[in-house]
Amino acid sequence: MTAKPPMSEQDRRRRRALIVFQIFVYGCLIAMFLIQLQMLFVKEW
Amino acid sequence: MTSMTLDLHEDESRRAQKGADRWLIVGTILMGTLVLGPLGLPVFCRGIYLLRKAQSAGLSVRPMMVTLIGYVIILDAAINSIGWGLDIFANHALITRTIFTAWGNLMDGGYFWHYNELWIGGAGAPGEKAWIIVCIVVVFPMRIAAAIGFLQMRRWGHQWMIVTCWFGLIAWMGYILNMTMYADVRYAGVAFPVLGWWLYNIFYITPFLAIPYLHTVNREIFSD
Repeated sequence: MTAKPPMSEQDRRRRRALIVFQIFVYGCLIAMFLIQLQMLFVKEW
Repeated sequence: MTSMTLDLHEDESRRAQKGADRWLIVGTILMGTLVLGPLGLPVFCRGIYLLRKAQSAGLSVRPMMVTLIGYVIILDAAINSIGWGLDIFANHALITRTIFTAWGNLMDGGYFWHYNELWIGGAGAPGEKAWIIVCIVVVFPMRIAAAIGFLQMRRWGHQWMIVTCWFGLIAWMGYILNMTMYADVRYAGVAFPVLGWWLYNIFYITPFLAIPYLHTVNREIFSD
């Protein structure tokens, strides 16, 4: 396999921003999960 | 590895790639049917094994990350399309009325309460039908087409993978926000509320994991 070319500074910054954004998105999904979980504990389903 | 001419190397690489792809395609089609998934997985794994072998033999084959992302996106779209396609076009078939409502009763009331009671049939949960239609008419066909172009290492395939992965993010954020707004109704009376649903669906709602890779991969490896 050939060696990977070095990543440019712009790509590095772009990737970091995308990862931060993904953490935010997963945070939103986890928040929805926690809201549902809270319902699970208090509701009599 | 014995030394070989450039032409021979290209021929060998193409043959190895084709051989591996044959296994990968058959495996993905089998897994895409959902019920034949256990048969498809070993077939798919053999394709991955052949690709790895070709790679370590020094042949020029498609990068492993491109292969995995491309096939997983096709698989994700195919599995979803089958289930939701049945819900729209075959919601009065015996298999749909029994399996879907049984599954709904198990973990998702959206597929149990008032099933087949709207004018359009199928799932009757608020907003559910809109998400189903936009996904199987727009998102999933777009996703499969993009992934095929991506696996062929075409420029448009890479560009459309970025579009469809962002679309996937919007679709799943919207879907989960929607169902959480009335989750107290949707989970009422089901056997495994919340935990059952999340365990089952967590694998579907993560196709946007590929976004950072798609934005930072060397664009020059995809040709016009």
